[in-house]
Amino acid sequence: MVNTTIESTTDQVVKARIGRSTGPQLNWLQKIGNSKYLGLYLLAPAGIFVLLFFVIPVLLTGVFGFTNMSTATGITGGAYLANQSSMQALGDRHDMAALAEQINQVVYTIDETGLTTAREAGISAATLMELRAKFLGQSFDNRRDAERAIKKLNNRPANTRALKVLVKYFERSVINTRYDSKAEILAAIDGFGVSLTPEQQAAIIDVTYTGWVFSTNNFKRMISLPDTKKTLINTLFFVFTTLILFNVGFALVLAVSTHYMDAGPAGFFRSVWLLPRITPPVLYVLMWKWLAWDTGFISIILGPFGVEPKNWLLDSPTNAWTFIILINGMVGASMGMLIFSSAIKAIPSSLFYASEVDGATRAQQIRHIILPQLRFPILFITCYQTLSLLTSFEYFLLATEGGPGGSTEVWALSTYFKALNNYAGALEYGYGAALALVLVVVGVVLSILYLKLFDFKTLTAAPKIE
Amino acid sequence: MRILLENFTKKFGDLTIIDGMDLEVHDGEMIALLGGSGCGKSTTLFAICGIHKVNGGRIFFGDHDVTNVTTQERNVGVVFQSFALYPHMTVENNIGFPLKLRKESTGDIKRKVGEIAEMVHIEALLQRRPGELSGGQQQRVALARALVRRPDVLLLDEPLANLDATLRLEMRSEIRRIQHETGITAVLVTHDQTEAMSMCDRIAIMDAGKIVQITEPKDMYDNPVSDFVAGFLGSPPIAFLSGKIEDGHFIEPSTKTKIPLDHEMAKSNNGRTVSIGIRPEYFQPNNGTAVSGKVSFIESQGRETLYNVMLPDGKILRSIQGEGSVAKIGDTVEWGINAPKILVFDEDGKRI
Repeated sequence: MVNTTIESTTDQVVKARIGRSTGPQLNWLQKIGNSKYLGLYLLAPAGIFVLLFFVIPVLLTGVFGFTNMSTATGITGGAYLANQSSMQALGDRHDMAALAEQINQVVYTIDETGLTTAREAGISAATLMELRAKFLGQSFDNRRDAERAIKKLNNRPANTRALKVLVKYFERSVINTRYDSKAEILAAIDGFGVSLTPEQQAAIIDVTYTGWVFSTNNFKRMISLPDTKKTLINTLFFVFTTLILFNVGFALVLAVSTHYMDAGPAGFFRSVWLLPRITPPVLYVLMWKWLAWDTGFISIILGPFGVEPKNWLLDSPTNAWTFIILINGMVGASMGMLIFSSAIKAIPSSLFYASEVDGATRAQQIRHIILPQLRFPILFITCYQTLSLLTSFEYFLLATEGGPGGSTEVWALSTYFKALNNYAGALEYGYGAALALVLVVVGVVLSILYLKLFDFKTLTAAPKIE
Repeated sequence: MRILLENFTKKFGDLTIIDGMDLEVHDGEMIALLGGSGCGKSTTLFAICGIHKVNGGRIFFGDHDVTNVTTQERNVGVVFQSFALYPHMTVENNIGFPLKLRKESTGDIKRKVGEIAEMVHIEALLQRRPGELSGGQQQRVALARALVRRPDVLLLDEPLANLDATLRLEMRSEIRRIQHETGITAVLVTHDQTEAMSMCDRIAIMDAGKIVQITEPKDMYDNPVSDFVAGFLGSPPIAFLSGKIEDGHFIEPSTKTKIPLDHEMAKSNNGRTVSIGIRPEYFQPNNGTAVSGKVSFIESQGRETLYNVMLPDGKILRSIQGEGSVAKIGDTVEWGINAPKILVFDEDGKRI
């Protein structure tokens, strides 16, 4: 009896649930609102932007890094062009100097094409008729032979100038002509009277292609260039010096010292250190430049002491680095300061009281209470700022442009110059992408390293409360 | 060590929290500062340990004036309401922290931490972090940290407020046991009268920054100086009735019941409007002067049952009775007041 009751109750519940689905019709908005995929729907717009502006660019960087794309190759497909340099390459790379010699020639062939073109251009019919009758199908290896033959005609051109014009119609060459496909260039060479083996065909295609191809040459080149090493050392020096001195170090000093101040002055000092961050970067750097110019603040101040006015910013590599690190550090410190200050605020005041009661001086409080509690924020700032310093080059671009003499050229700046903007206008997209790819890899590796170093697992360990 | 507050004054900005308080805690005594929130009891505690600087008066530990001694040098042990354990340190390092700051040797620290851990029964937990401990265990660690360097005084700020009911009962006797074992002078800040009465040698009850009465728990319960003290102590609380004294009796205004009062007192206060306090245990069936009213509320507390009896004018008398009581809500009952136990207060709430 009892069982039946329970079953019938369950039955009713089931019926009630089924009944709900035949209830009032929901409109599409309500359906989305009730869907278990609601989260996905809400994320969709962000997802599209992430895809467009992050995932696809990163993937394309990965792909482009393995190509030789440049302004010369274009980014779409290329054409086939036999010219001086590709024929040189045919000799050098494929050991086919003889073939190159053959193709490189200009010959004069009396053929129907030439006759038709000449007729259409208004050359006298009699001349062309005689030329056809006597020389059709004949080839001359150079212009002089062809001219000599034509001079012997009864209906020859009236003067030397007309002769030269006529000869031009029979000039045949594959050099310096763009062909849109492999078939066209091969047909042209064949028509030129050179027959090619399959091997030779492949070699011709290889050297005459003007578009981009996949290759790992970028990385070989990166390793072999001495500039790479210098840029790498510059980058590491810049990132870690700025990070340790300012983005973490000075930020900690600011956060801790304002913690021990009264609320009013503390707020004032924090706001002051935020100003560089809210100043437009172009103006911010411009002010540094004014400070450092030969007619600028530093020179004016030092003038009465007998110091020659000079451009302090670009005067020497040491000065340039000092300015670069100050420019970046003054901006960078504010973020760490904010994060660290709020983390210190989050420490319960009872912990500070307890440590005072336990006999801790301020220095001991900082060492034993504040710093250990800031482990996670410090990890965060270190990770975040390493990555942002690695990839930031706007202040370099605005201040030193990598100078003097490339002494402040860092990896991101060099990538930008190589790929997107340089004096010669020869942009190497492929090589630039390869350089950028290295930055991505370094960033990922550093992040993993930091997580290990700061013992991330124990920071986020689940409590074992009994 | 004796603690003495002399004319102690504390202000926050323009607001005077405590104005000229005097308090003496004898050597080896445990005293409770009891009062509602905002009465200044925690402020007093923080002033004793030096976290708050005083705005006037002096503080002595023994004969030593510590008014201007920093917290760090005052040698007090404090247990905070939230325990304030250092979350990034193990239990062992938490307890050893005050010793480490004093630059004691690692061996000494280990030995002392071991001893104190044994005393508060947490030997097995030394390698854990606070986040891995229950509330009661955290409480014991906090106590051990406060005691490890043998402080002159032990200060406890609502130490049981964050614990559940069973643990509170257990820790109550534990703290008292440890205080007895160490013989330390202790100050307990609490808003819970049961805690104050069960744990301490004396209670200082505070209201609006003043000590209203300071005496032993039993004495304070039986002889409160004011209706505030009488109302604060006792659970369920005391019930008050107001009326006039006429011819040696208190006249209950709605039922006109005459309740006999102490002869001398009634004579000298004849005709005066007073309020009388009747504790629930002194309002029982078959007990002295009978008052009749309707049972308006019944609350079973297991062993005992609490009855609210409403008089015709809406005033409530409370009665707490053991098993065997059968009154129901709505019943009219006629229970008696144990007249000699009545507490009489004047219009200002002062005990007469």
